[in-house]
Amino acid sequence: MPFQPGATAGGVSKPDVQPEPTATAASDPSRWVDEHGDVLYRYALERVRKPDIAQDLVQETFLAAVRTIDRFRGGSTVRSWLCGILKHKICDYYRKRGRETAFTNLEFLTDECAEKFVPEGYWVHMNGPKEWKPEPDEVMHRDEFWKTMRDCLGKLPERVATVFMMREMDEVESKEICSMLSISDSNLWVMLHRARMALRECLAMNWFENPGVQR
Amino acid sequence: MFQEHRSWLQLQIVLLICRFTPTCPEVVRILSLGMDKQLSLMMRMKLRIHYLMCSFCERYMKQLKYIRQVSREFPDKIGEVSDASLSADAKEQIKAALRQ
Repeated sequence: MPFQPGATAGGVSKPDVQPEPTATAASDPSRWVDEHGDVLYRYALERVRKPDIAQDLVQETFLAAVRTIDRFRGGSTVRSWLCGILKHKICDYYRKRGRETAFTNLEFLTDECAEKFVPEGYWVHMNGPKEWKPEPDEVMHRDEFWKTMRDCLGKLPERVATVFMMREMDEVESKEICSMLSISDSNLWVMLHRARMALRECLAMNWFENPGVQR
Repeated sequence: MFQEHRSWLQLQIVLLICRFTPTCPEVVRILSLGMDKQLSLMMRMKLRIHYLMCSFCERYMKQLKYIRQVSREFPDKIGEVSDASLSADAKEQIKAALRQ
């Protein structure tokens, strides 16, 4: 069969090739599944922690993308547009779950690592935060760092992780998170504080202060 | 006598600062709050004074900002770095749903 430019040969796509920025009705959505499906799935899996739900969310994302393809302007890449839709689908998922299951009081208990401080109200000198090197823009190039971060997020209780990731990764406003999940501001702040403290601790121990790690 | 008077004064200033500024467990709570809400000028001043005596809390503040920066990149980076994948069946299922 003569080579036809534009045809996908045997369904194989190069994962690193960014597709053309504009999507039109003529674009083949099944190409999107090959090019972006795994990337979307990976983020969804970090958020919801269940493979079947992550898969459903990815499917809903593609379906929504196909339905709203006319609304896609060439201002962003196909991938970032799809990621935006996925983040909305994840929020919808948590909004529904928030109504069905109330947060228990245990999730709000402040777990402030009291042993890190002396009774007088200062850090225990040996355990206080140490300088973090290298700078963020350097550490971001290390694959191992992201795996460490993924593992640290995985250690957080699910609700706490959800709230943290909604705030810091989906960049949802605090007020909206509260109404979405039916929690009060103070509940939210306690959970964010727990998440940040635990995450800082975990990254310090497993990356920045770990002598075995090649930074 | 003058020496003793000076160190007594220094002690009084340090004690005043201790009473005026929050404790470290309170500071870390406030710093987290400050990531989502604008802190009052008074509180920001108290934190600055606290950092004069406590470099741990100042580092904690910088590390919260560091975490915020890397968190913004996480969704894209985990997409590249994770070894999880949709199975071939899953992809076919999604493509079939799209064809309808």
